[in-house]
Amino acid sequence: MALIDFFKKIEPDKKKSPFLHTLYDGFFTFAYTPDTVTSGKGVHIRDGMDLKRTMVFVVLAMQFCYLFGTFNIGHQHFVALGQHTGLLEGFHLKLVHGLIKLLPIFVVTHVVGLGIEFWYAARKGHAIEEGFLVSGALIPLIMPPDLPLWILAISVAFAVIVGKEAFGGTGMNILNIALLCRVFVFFAYPTEISGDQVWVSAVADGVANYGWWHTTVFNGFFESIGWSTFQPGSPVVDAFTGATPLGLAAAGGWEAVTDVYTTSQMWWGTIPGSIGESSKPLILVGVFILLSTGIASWRIMVSMFIGGAVMAMLLNIWGANPFMEVPWYYQFYMGSFLFAMAFMATDPVTAASTNRGKWVYGFFIGFVGMIIRVLNPAYPEGWMLAILFMNVFAPLIDHYVLQANISKRLKRA
Amino acid sequence: MEFFNIFIKAAFIENLVLAYFLGMCSYLAVSKTVQTAFGLGLAVIFVLGITMPINWMINEYLLSENGLLGMDLTFLRFILFIAVIASMVQLVELVVEKFSPSLYNSLGIFLPLITVNCAILGGSLFMVSREYNFSESVAFGLGGGFGWFLAIIALAAIREKIRYSAVPPALRGLGMAFILTGLMGMAFMSLMGIDPQALGDLTH
Repeated sequence: MALIDFFKKIEPDKKKSPFLHTLYDGFFTFAYTPDTVTSGKGVHIRDGMDLKRTMVFVVLAMQFCYLFGTFNIGHQHFVALGQHTGLLEGFHLKLVHGLIKLLPIFVVTHVVGLGIEFWYAARKGHAIEEGFLVSGALIPLIMPPDLPLWILAISVAFAVIVGKEAFGGTGMNILNIALLCRVFVFFAYPTEISGDQVWVSAVADGVANYGWWHTTVFNGFFESIGWSTFQPGSPVVDAFTGATPLGLAAAGGWEAVTDVYTTSQMWWGTIPGSIGESSKPLILVGVFILLSTGIASWRIMVSMFIGGAVMAMLLNIWGANPFMEVPWYYQFYMGSFLFAMAFMATDPVTAASTNRGKWVYGFFIGFVGMIIRVLNPAYPEGWMLAILFMNVFAPLIDHYVLQANISKRLKRA
Repeated sequence: MEFFNIFIKAAFIENLVLAYFLGMCSYLAVSKTVQTAFGLGLAVIFVLGITMPINWMINEYLLSENGLLGMDLTFLRFILFIAVIASMVQLVELVVEKFSPSLYNSLGIFLPLITVNCAILGGSLFMVSREYNFSESVAFGLGGGFGWFLAIIALAAIREKIRYSAVPPALRGLGMAFILTGLMGMAFMSLMGIDPQALGDLTH
């Protein structure tokens, strides 16, 4: 009881300092479910308390991707340098390097995104809408590790203001916020987020370049306890290209991919890529959490898989270039299909909300995404754009599902 | 195959609204409900699909130097194209008024205004500058019209949905429609860059 007394004591006055009250309210509802209910007189529809609990599960489902992503940033970096190439060798270095790369991205995303969210909530006099908890957890996972932070800040601000607040806040947006953020970077600063050079961190000029945290703080610490340290200026190995499996497949088909990566590497995710999307088994753990709690729609996941598989099989039959000839089941080993399926397509706000609509919606994401990936030479991967594309059509799908239902009922009557 | 390629390209890859931002006035004004947007979309498909081949014939047999008159009359292109479009729109108007008075009333001034819908004149001018032949111009007309139709009903469905959203008062209505069009344009960039012709050339 001591905690709740403390909370009651520090509650700021809502009229005098709306911003502080919003902040207070956000943290209070993290700790407690308020017992205040809607009175007979007023309506407070925009109550995000249960929403918050739902969203925490989605964030939990992503944690494995975070853990692995942190490790993989470091692992890819050291594989490129030819040092500590074994999975567990130099584990402390990989972890530290991953944290140095990931934490600033995470912090900037949340400071910018939540800051805007708090400001709008205080302005409107609402409770904080927790939509950004999930978007903010997703955004770092879909960015390359070396993304300049100012670009990240601009794109998060764009996504939150134009993509969400203009529509009236959480639950009202049409396009997926995290994907809108990424697509903004993708079109506005294409060199930062595509090509072969951006997926492995801190090796941009062919040598390892470290900052103050690496060389001073952690090297000093590791030296003092006698562990291996970061070696600034060490060159990358000759065979290093930094290409992702999809980049290789676009150039030379499945054989070109297996020359560099084994299928088990692609399955477990020790390959270059965006921070959180590479490890398939850990995403499947997230899928399990989402499905068993009933938060994500299995209809979308299944139909998206079917759509992708059907298109990949059609491309197999067409088979006009090496990329099309990649066996359809191997298409799912490469790129971010699983991550997009688990966390992006199932976003309940932007997906179709009728059950039959979900089948159509998911199927076309899979279908269009595979078309973009294989047939569109301009983009290496298709799921981001395919999901945005179908987000645009989701209200239309819902509209026609509803109309069909209405006319069926009318006939029955 | 060529017909199909140009249809796909005009409908999805180089969508008249979302890639060229043509035909915006009726696109923004009539997209409040799906039903009227559907009607206007069909009218635009019809007008584009009919005027494109007619304009092609006029351009080829009447205006060009080796046409019937043997003179280079291409400076008359705009006025003749518009005349064809205007007469087709009159036809559509008569048909719609006869068979669906409710749609006729809800479309209001925007039905005759298809005449000055820049997507339609723009389509005809694209046809000339890209040197399409007759069947290609039919494909381009139908594809462009279908793309426009798809864009307007998608926007209308979204606008029906956000009617229940707490959009800031200053952005309600047209402001939101502009933002939505921009965001939709971003989503439609997904297919930009695919060249169906180059894909068609890939043989076994």
